[in-house]
Amino acid sequence: MYFYLIKRLGLSFAVIITVVIVLFALLHLIPGDPATIALGPRASDEAIARYAAKMHLDEPLWRQFLIYISNASMGDLGVDVFSDRPVTQIVMERLGFTLALITCGLGWAIVLGIPLGALAAVRPNSWLDRITGILSVGTIAIPSFVVSIWVLVIFAINLRWLPAIGAGEPGQLGDQLLHLVLPAFAIGLSWVGYLARMVRASMLEVMGENYIRSARAFGLKPNTVVYQYAMRVAILPTITLIGIGFGGLISSAVFAEIIFARPGIGSLILISIEARNFPVVQGAVLVATSLYIFIVLFSDLLVAWLNPRVRESL
Amino acid sequence: MKNYSTTRRNFMASTAAIGALGVMPLLPSAAFAQGSTLRIRQERDHSILDPAYMVGGVDVEAQKQCLPFLSQYTSKDGTFGWQPTYFAKKLEQRDATHIDFELVEGLVWSNGYGSVKASDVKFSFERMKTGDWKGYYDSLDHVEVTGDRTGTIVLKKPFAPFIMNTLCNGPGAILCEKAVKKAGGKFTTKFPAVCGPYIYEQIPGQQATFTANPEWTGPKPDYDTVKALIIKEVKAAELAFEAGELDCTSIGADTLARYTKKMPADSAVSVAGELQYMWMGMNTEHPKLKDPKVRRALQHAVDVDSILAGAYSSTTKKSNGVICPGLLGQRDSTKYYNYDPAKAKALLAEAGVSGLELTLRTLNKQERMLTAQIIQANLAAIGVTLNVLPQDSGPFWEMGQEKKGDTWKDLELWLMRFGTTPDPYEAMQWFVSSQVGIWNWERWTDKEFDKLYDQGIAETDDAKRAAIYKNMQDIMEETGAYVWINHEPETFAHSVKVKINAAPSGELNYRRFERV
Repeated sequence: MYFYLIKRLGLSFAVIITVVIVLFALLHLIPGDPATIALGPRASDEAIARYAAKMHLDEPLWRQFLIYISNASMGDLGVDVFSDRPVTQIVMERLGFTLALITCGLGWAIVLGIPLGALAAVRPNSWLDRITGILSVGTIAIPSFVVSIWVLVIFAINLRWLPAIGAGEPGQLGDQLLHLVLPAFAIGLSWVGYLARMVRASMLEVMGENYIRSARAFGLKPNTVVYQYAMRVAILPTITLIGIGFGGLISSAVFAEIIFARPGIGSLILISIEARNFPVVQGAVLVATSLYIFIVLFSDLLVAWLNPRVRESL
Repeated sequence: MKNYSTTRRNFMASTAAIGALGVMPLLPSAAFAQGSTLRIRQERDHSILDPAYMVGGVDVEAQKQCLPFLSQYTSKDGTFGWQPTYFAKKLEQRDATHIDFELVEGLVWSNGYGSVKASDVKFSFERMKTGDWKGYYDSLDHVEVTGDRTGTIVLKKPFAPFIMNTLCNGPGAILCEKAVKKAGGKFTTKFPAVCGPYIYEQIPGQQATFTANPEWTGPKPDYDTVKALIIKEVKAAELAFEAGELDCTSIGADTLARYTKKMPADSAVSVAGELQYMWMGMNTEHPKLKDPKVRRALQHAVDVDSILAGAYSSTTKKSNGVICPGLLGQRDSTKYYNYDPAKAKALLAEAGVSGLELTLRTLNKQERMLTAQIIQANLAAIGVTLNVLPQDSGPFWEMGQEKKGDTWKDLELWLMRFGTTPDPYEAMQWFVSSQVGIWNWERWTDKEFDKLYDQGIAETDDAKRAAIYKNMQDIMEETGAYVWINHEPETFAHSVKVKINAAPSGELNYRRFERV
């Protein structure tokens, strides 16, 4: 187990380094002079020179990279080229909003998707199974940005039941939760379908196992067989899926954050790319990537912890 | 010591509970704030509030609420002018190089920095000469302090646009000398001291809040609090406005067209100004376009009315030059061309040109691309093949500049849009001879044009200035290097209960908003 943990941590580190290298190269391959693009076509020569110095653009590329990587390893992701604020601080200010959005989005998808999948598997080919199947495929097929726009138009503009934009009044938890409802619904909807399909398939497989048949033969109640015996095994692949889904939702969150004008890592990356604010782009992507890798690692370890067969095979 | 342990079952139960929390039923009672709070859209966070190093745009909006200015824009019968602000008891142009001012008595800086003095004006304006916005102060020689609250702005040479262009604009902000020096000579997102109806606080990525300044002794604004919500995308802001969560937002051309047909309930649209000028430019030095007859043919071939209808949903004004609506010297019509494909064909035949193939470069934005496609169809009608080359902003803004590479040599046609301030000088400065290879991508020079440019700067008589700038646009058009397209408006949708106040270039001034 410890060897597995060390191996996974090493792999995660290698992935992060690769991401940093690719990102660094990509940002410098964007056509045009970064200083002119960032400061606008009519920026003064002094401002351009100051920007270039601050960004180390006057240094060779390899040296720029070394400066960045050595600072990043010390937790220093640089400073915002416009406001001079530390990138770490800027990213951390936004990270909480993205995590809250993703947690709520995935949270409601789990609460609805897992029971739906289980029910569909318990009664295969019933009307419930068929409706669940249609709804699952339907929700998977609709992109989250389309859902975002629709729920915004229906619930915020036409019905005015829920707020349309922002993250809520700072310091008011109720208001902040209220502002989470629509974006969380939008990004979580397709995951209801994913989870329901996954749990159904997994449950159907488990329900055909010998130990389930034995449990039934012993006269255990159907609910006990399903929820205490079958579900505990069938849920394991879903945990891995949730881990990957958490990472996938970071990209869905970009759309939701833009459409609902929420602060967050996704909107920060987009705005910074448009402004060619390289330190913020690099810092935010690095944090988002690290977060993704950490979540996937965590879900794998969780599966290993929950499933003795996986644990013993490591 | 208590022993905490986690079982798999407990873990699953806790996870389910946390998930359920995310979807717990909530009441929408706190969603819509009301009262004397104004809610507006702000495109981005304030980056640098220091006038000498600011980015501009929304930074100027914050300065206007928290710092003194000597003059402000006015609009009368569709023409822009200026007037002294509340802060200036007097602001008078004594002669071509001297502007006298007197500050109102009783103005006080926050944070205990005492009263606002003429020496603060001197400090603020003279420090601009070394900042990023020094171009606005090229003509300033010095500020002479003649009393505690009085002084004279002394220019090196006559510069008629100084009040409109500089003092009404962001670079005209007055800072507290003591506070700025104590802050280390410059500042970013926190004013060292304010003197205005509002104090300012920003939560990055969320909102900037302007609340009543308890030390302000001047006229109170209609709104106690202004919440500027950070909304990057104009479409998101438009939806928020329709949801009743914003009292005012800028809107795009397509939404303006939609609102013109059907306005949302209790809403109105206001146009702050139309200080953008767009044209199709031609490189007069390019071998394919060297013959003036070819350029004139292209001028006649482009149907600008179709562009306005097709690309801009008829929401923008047709342009007849670089001087925008409401400014001195705006032309009513073109002088040397109109849409006439037959004449265009005849001119091409006269020039002995056939099978002409050209490339039009444009920013890869929706309206520009539509414009380019309409021009492509127009030119096809006279036998000219047009290739459209959409470009990202990076290479686009560099392509005509000699110091950025050799693209300027291959440049044939392009769609360009510049913004300007409410003085005709600003728009003209990019086309003088010294700008060839910098911003004069058309690459023509004319001694008469340069002479008129200098005259326009020095002339203080409005009628004479207007005549000068009309004459200059005639010269530009005669080169054949321009097809004037449109002036895009800075349009705001707002509640009918709010009377907005915006600079002609679109910066909002919340302190002058009125509750209706």
